[in-house]
Amino acid sequence: MPIQFDHVSYTYSTGTPYEYKALNDVCLDIEEGKITAVIGMTGSGKSTLVQHLNALLLPEKGVVRILDRTITAGEKPKNLKSLRGRVGLVFQFPEYQLFEETVLKDVAFGPKNFGIPEAEAIERAKKAMAMVGLETRHYEKSPLEMSGGQKRRAAIAGILAMDPEVLVLDEPTAGLDPYGTVSMMSLFSRLNREMKKTILIVTHDMEQVFTYCDNVVVVENGTIRASMSVQEFFKDSSYCKEMNILPPALIRMKEQLIEAGFEIGEDVMDIDRLAEAVARQVKKHG
Amino acid sequence: MGNITLGRYIPLDSPIHKMDPRAKILGMLLMLVAIFFPAGWTGYAILFAAASLTIILAKLSFTFIWKAMRPMLYMLVFLLIINSLFLKTGTPLFTVGPFTMYSDAIFQTLYIAVRLLLMVMITTCLTATTKPLDMTLGIEDLLKPFTKIHVPAHEIAMLISIALRFIPDLIDETQRIIKAQESRGVDLKEGKFMERIMAILSLIVPLFVSAFQRAEDLANAMEARGYAPGEKRTRYKLLKMEGRDYLLLICCAALLACMIWLSAQA
Ligand SMILES: Nc1ncnc2c1ncn2[C@@H]1O[C@H](COP(=O)(O)OP(=O)(O)OP(=O)(O)O)[C@@H](O)[C@H]1O
Ligand SMILES: [Mg+2]
Repeated sequence: MPIQFDHVSYTYSTGTPYEYKALNDVCLDIEEGKITAVIGMTGSGKSTLVQHLNALLLPEKGVVRILDRTITAGEKPKNLKSLRGRVGLVFQFPEYQLFEETVLKDVAFGPKNFGIPEAEAIERAKKAMAMVGLETRHYEKSPLEMSGGQKRRAAIAGILAMDPEVLVLDEPTAGLDPYGTVSMMSLFSRLNREMKKTILIVTHDMEQVFTYCDNVVVVENGTIRASMSVQEFFKDSSYCKEMNILPPALIRMKEQLIEAGFEIGEDVMDIDRLAEAVARQVKKHG
Repeated sequence: MGNITLGRYIPLDSPIHKMDPRAKILGMLLMLVAIFFPAGWTGYAILFAAASLTIILAKLSFTFIWKAMRPMLYMLVFLLIINSLFLKTGTPLFTVGPFTMYSDAIFQTLYIAVRLLLMVMITTCLTATTKPLDMTLGIEDLLKPFTKIHVPAHEIAMLISIALRFIPDLIDETQRIIKAQESRGVDLKEGKFMERIMAILSLIVPLFVSAFQRAEDLANAMEARGYAPGEKRTRYKLLKMEGRDYLLLICCAALLACMIWLSAQA
């Protein structure tokens, strides 16, 4: 069953002069078992959208359906904790949530809250830290002694240790070094492939969308501007132009080659096949 | 928590917004003194009317005041309980078992409630219509005469303005941290005693860390731009009292005089 938003609206600070309608009549289906990218300009409502997935924000109007739960506007949902254990949400700038004396303890905090016994929580924490590339020497460090990027990894590990069915990441790689970014994205990709986890990633990086994601959702001004497969979205640069997005380098190169007279099919989506297509035509003319 | 309104600046275009902050601060002080004169219900009715008029002139909504007032309701309920347990004067109203409710308990609570409401209304008239920066300038100017007796006027004003500046940020930060920890299964409303303590710790520690971080960043940013306390500084914005500012002060002074007179009558 997909995750569904059914005519969902959300307003911040209702009834004050700061009132702001952040989501407006959002209808959206998110496929299970896939990696979906959520893109859109700063302030378009991406974070607001994803915070509905584990019921941190409750819809003001409409219905959110996720896993076997239905969250309806105006109804007080019961047992949110179990939902939050199954839908792990990593916040934008999660490094500020660390509080335990040691990193290992902090990573184990989530699973312990969801009733996992101490010893097993620590085991899971160790595994999660290994996944995000934090070595054993970091176990006993205080979160305050870590660099920004290390804190970010620890915070992501803290959610991974909960072993959620759906993983939601709000700009997980903002501010990480290029190598860290790639290893983080490959980790998410692996979690999706090997453990069949549904993953949502909020990102500004089109290369990430192109390389790692299956579907893409474009948020604009609190509404869904587009929702489709990444293949479809990047088949040429027309969608990107329409939405003022700089397409990934490969697509830009493909467009330039087509402009220069090469014939390249819509389905050519990776560098090897592009090179092959170019080589073939060069030879033919050669 | 989402809608804490007390002390927030509301950007609107009204005659009150345009007034000189010094006039507004002085006016508020006069009115706050006026509230503390026991001028009876007539006095409070007059003050209420004056405060309401100011709120209307400032284009603020009364729901805004109500929201600012709401957190204090718990305090008032608590006060009512204390009062009804210990205040045994006035006419007995009703009796439940060994407990008798006296009219004074209700009156005393109501009295405080009215004063509190007036105070919230009046301070809101100032804080909601004055930009924090203007407030600082106003405070600094008003404190200037006291620099002769070594009151650090500029430093005090700077402290106040930084504190005011950070209140909304800290509220936002608290909410963010609450959400982040709730995502990790922290349950702030239920749970056993130890779990509760853990839950509160998981909020307070990150909040302190980020507050100190912010303070340090701000200090560095100020220093990087050459700020040094005690240095002579010029001002971009100069305050000027106009006719309406004097009018406000005269009105406030008249109200204060009226309250003094009313309480002398009583
Ligand atoms: N607590 C709040 N109170 C009032 N308005 C808010 C609040 N949080 C967000 N907003 C507003 O709602 C809109 C959407 O915010 P949101 O955080 O969802 O944007 P975003 O798409 O995640 O942006 P970014 O890419 O910068 O993270 C913004 O215009 C913002 O000003
Ligand atoms: Mg965001």
